Amino acid sequence: MSKEVVLDCFGEACPVPLVKAEKALEKLEINDILIVQIDHSCAMKNVPEWARKQGHNVEIEEIDDGEWEVIIEKVK
Amino acid sequence: MAREKKVEQYDVVIIGGGASGLTAGIYCGRARLKTLIIEQALVGGIATNTNDIENYPGFPEGITGIGLMNLFHQQAKKFDVKFKLTNVKTIDLSGDIKIVETFRNRFEAKTVIICNGSVPRLTGAINEEKFLGKGIAFCATCDAAANTDKEVLVIGSGDAAIEEGIFLTKFASKVMVSIIHDEGKFDCNEIAKAAALANPKMEFYHNTVVESYEGDNELDKVILKNLKTGEKKAIECATCFLFIGYLPNTSLYKDIIDMTDRGYIITDENMKTNIPGVFAAGDVRDKLLRQVATCVGDASIAGVMAEKHIAESEIFEEQIMAKDGIAYVYNAIESDQRYFLSFIEEIEEVYKDYCYHRVDTYKSEGIADRLGVESCPSVVFIKDGKVEKIICGDKCNKDEVRDIIKNNEETKK
Repeated sequence: MSKEVVLDCFGEACPVPLVKAEKALEKLEINDILIVQIDHSCAMKNVPEWARKQGHNVEIEEIDDGEWEVIIEKVK
Repeated sequence: MAREKKVEQYDVVIIGGGASGLTAGIYCGRARLKTLIIEQALVGGIATNTNDIENYPGFPEGITGIGLMNLFHQQAKKFDVKFKLTNVKTIDLSGDIKIVETFRNRFEAKTVIICNGSVPRLTGAINEEKFLGKGIAFCATCDAAANTDKEVLVIGSGDAAIEEGIFLTKFASKVMVSIIHDEGKFDCNEIAKAAALANPKMEFYHNTVVESYEGDNELDKVILKNLKTGEKKAIECATCFLFIGYLPNTSLYKDIIDMTDRGYIITDENMKTNIPGVFAAGDVRDKLLRQVATCVGDASIAGVMAEKHIAESEIFEEQIMAKDGIAYVYNAIESDQRYFLSFIEEIEEVYKDYCYHRVDTYKSEGIADRLGVESCPSVVFIKDGKVEKIICGDKCNKDEVRDIIKNNEETKK
């Protein structure tokens, strides 16, 4: 069964969330889900952009004012 | 293994969160419909690529595209519209309940409004793919500051190309413009053309198209080809901005929704597509003018039509088809069609077990369409949840109507 991993990047500015997300996703298996929690609006752009470019499934959820979860499903 | 998708029900699912999607959201939300907007990138859509919007009414000083879209977004949120930032994977619009799936969710909706908009067109020249986002850009607002004191190239001569080109001269040291047309010919409006020609920082290369993009990792020059002489010229530039029009974002709907050869969705003036309960609004539609103002016009109609579709479906199923009866379909502004109403009242007194519906088509033909009525006035007989018979046009003969009801009543007994 695929698993979900939550990566807490609250309070971290670019490019830290992106670098952390890249490393975390590497360790996951196909179909696993990585949830990157961010509150830095620049990460809200570059994390999903990177993940989409890699071909993964991406969804962004605004969980609170100025706080987002970028949900990435590893597809390859 | 496929993960189980979370299922959610909505009255309206709007695909696309640009000017059209947000406007449709405002109208649906305000009509207290449970509304979801699905946006694959950033809320605001392509209008956020425009620096100055000077012709959107209500902002005499002008406003930035991002500023205007943020206001739309806030207004939609105020009416409790929900947002999902992801892309749509599959759709099934064939049933009464429309299915829209993202990678984690399955949304079931009574209506769908397609507001996918369009994407910038590419030149198709050599190495284009390689430099997308690495020197090839589509948004002057976004990338102008990064080109301060640098030389840039703009491709195109329409309103967007020339107006954004003028905007770029505030930052760049030189703005070169490649134009496919003959000397002196532009596609843009005359005001922009005059301003561009008077701008000392702008330089124009007529009769040219892009042959290729060159550079190591980042773009550093663009090879332009003269269409008349065949001569090639290398233009050194930090960024090449493409403003050569847009393509509709409609691959998801291919073979499902009717579209033009160029992929724009065909609707009627009420934004209806070929599928009942599915509407389209904004740049994705086949139409003449694509502006925030026309998106707002389209989408407000689509929002209202979605509301009407839902209300009519409920009336149709829960009232009209639920019990045996007759529906008199007429247009209330035609006096001769109103005339028959008194007869309906007459028989209503006699045959009280029967259900009587008066369907006015003046404001909407939705219920008449569902009943299969082609012309007004018509009398529709409903039996066992089905349309049994339609007597239409001038043949609304009182005796015939009375006979059918009488007959039905007798067979019941």
